[in-house]
Amino acid sequence: MYGSLIDALPAVLSLGNFAAVVLGVITGICIGALPGLSATMAISVLIPFTFGMDPLVALGMMAGIYNGAMYGGAIPAVLLRIPGTPAAVATSFDGYPMAQQGRGGYALQVSVVSSAIGGIVSAIVLMLLAPPLAKVTLLFGPSEVFWVAVFGLSAIVFLLGGDVLKGLLSACFGVFVSLVGLDSISGYDRYTFGHLELLDGINIVVLLVGLYAIPPAIALLEEVMDVDTSTAGRLNTTSLWKALPSMLRFWKTWLRSSVIGVFVGILPGAGGSMAAFLSYNEARRASSNPDEWGKGEPEGVAASETANNADTASALIPALTLGIPGTAVAAVMLGGLMIHGLQPGPMLFRDNPDIVFGFMWQFLFAAILLIVLGGALATNSFAQVLRLPRPLLGAFIITLVVVGVYSINGRMFDVYLMLGFGFIGYFMDKLKFPLPPVVLGLILGGFAEQNLRLALRIGGGDWTALAANTTSKVLIVMILLVILTPLFSRLSRRKKSQSTA
Amino acid sequence: MKQTTSGQGPHPDLITGIAIIVVAGFLLLRTPDMPTMSSLLPITMLSTLIGLSVLMILRVFIANRSERFKAPRYQIFDNLPRFLGIVVAIGLYVAGVSLIGFYTTTAVMVPLVAWSFGYRDIKRLLLADLIFTGGLAIIFALLMGQDLPTEFFIR
Repeated sequence: MYGSLIDALPAVLSLGNFAAVVLGVITGICIGALPGLSATMAISVLIPFTFGMDPLVALGMMAGIYNGAMYGGAIPAVLLRIPGTPAAVATSFDGYPMAQQGRGGYALQVSVVSSAIGGIVSAIVLMLLAPPLAKVTLLFGPSEVFWVAVFGLSAIVFLLGGDVLKGLLSACFGVFVSLVGLDSISGYDRYTFGHLELLDGINIVVLLVGLYAIPPAIALLEEVMDVDTSTAGRLNTTSLWKALPSMLRFWKTWLRSSVIGVFVGILPGAGGSMAAFLSYNEARRASSNPDEWGKGEPEGVAASETANNADTASALIPALTLGIPGTAVAAVMLGGLMIHGLQPGPMLFRDNPDIVFGFMWQFLFAAILLIVLGGALATNSFAQVLRLPRPLLGAFIITLVVVGVYSINGRMFDVYLMLGFGFIGYFMDKLKFPLPPVVLGLILGGFAEQNLRLALRIGGGDWTALAANTTSKVLIVMILLVILTPLFSRLSRRKKSQSTA
Repeated sequence: MKQTTSGQGPHPDLITGIAIIVVAGFLLLRTPDMPTMSSLLPITMLSTLIGLSVLMILRVFIANRSERFKAPRYQIFDNLPRFLGIVVAIGLYVAGVSLIGFYTTTAVMVPLVAWSFGYRDIKRLLLADLIFTGGLAIIFALLMGQDLPTEFFIR
């Protein structure tokens, strides 16, 4: 089972593949450092450019960007109290007070070491858990795969929290988009309105780029934001290796936060910000001096940064083994796999072991590279990224997405479609409709439909065949639990509040 | 994202709900022509979209009368004139790319948009434009051999 893991190593260590990871980490740190831009956006913009590349080069860049951006978000969070990514909010609680006390450089060093440790643990867990899980899921038939898809959809919608109604609407929209094009079984064209370009369906990259890259680009141009970066470049850091011994006392926090981050990453719908908050709270509770937290306690930075990087590779466990992306970034990465002709799910491990296991190694190397690339000198340099003018950056992103999407099929139709999704994404974002369920709906919708119809055909049109075996029944119970647990807990909370009133 | 407790005009969720019902209703009208199994999921999804939108609309009405239910009203535009400017700029850029050509339009639009939206350092702007457009040309024309919409002067 783990033999393929070792076999995949030489390809990952080739110059081109390794350079892709290095480039990805540097790009990720720069993008994460820019408030308003996220790993999801960066990877969506990158995907069209990777068409002509070897899949491992493309995936290496994605792994690098993901890891780099999760650390990069800490730079403005520490220096300016503006989290570069949502996952870095908890980092600012103690990182910014440290910067005000003249210890900003040390805060960033704690961030980079903690991020690397979280990322390394996460990559190792991915390597250990994904192969056996994929082996189990290989035994699934069409009816089980259908229920797994429904579980993925319901889990993300209900675990997202907030407005369940809007989450469901987003998921339905995503599923509907997956239906556009030729029906793969009957050959009937659905909702193409005579456009031949739509016969093959809506390319997932077009949707991803529109939803995730256009809204932040508009925000960069729309918001008049005057960021004071005068202190960002003067960190006066000592060598990372000299500072390392003083961090070893955080080992318990690193361990606890890694476990929390990995667990949250595996849960569909929960992301880096939830991992960081949970880990920060737990570390504070376990601390001997909780009153000092929020006033510049480096352990707080360590807790938050370890957890938000520990959820990176682990979020790919359900994505790679079941085809269910747990987070928006995982969904975008699945899109990246799909444009290289790789169908996420258990078959991926059987048909392309060199790529899937190589991808896992790349996650591990990206996490290790964080320490090398995010050291003292580099941290000072990355802080300069904050000085980039926002209007220029907005114009660059719009140009990149237009050229990227055009180059997929060499036609303007995709660009118009992408812009349409971009504006839909902008309004959804403003009206608080969550975006990940749309992507999940697009990925799982067609997948669910195809397997439902296959299962019905095998069962001779009998709908009860869908729940005929034990695995299907277990999956149905899990779906019901995911849907009903939040409803019951809400009802019990309401009862409690009424009784106290 | 700013959340406002009150606001002028209809609630955004109300407008969104109505828009979804109208579009989903129109799309639902096309399903009778489809083979039964092909129309199964479209009918399910569109009906669910309509049902959920009705619930969202009802929530707005109930929230107006009851304290227990909430339908928060979010501010959509941070700056409406700037948003409209962005829409026009994107429209002009896309039209320019297909009519004039990719590199010419990019070389003109990038500094123009950045300048219009507040970055006024002309020297740095032109240098950034040169590096960016030149970099794209190197990547797409030389390294990838990718054909982009042709420039008007070499057609």
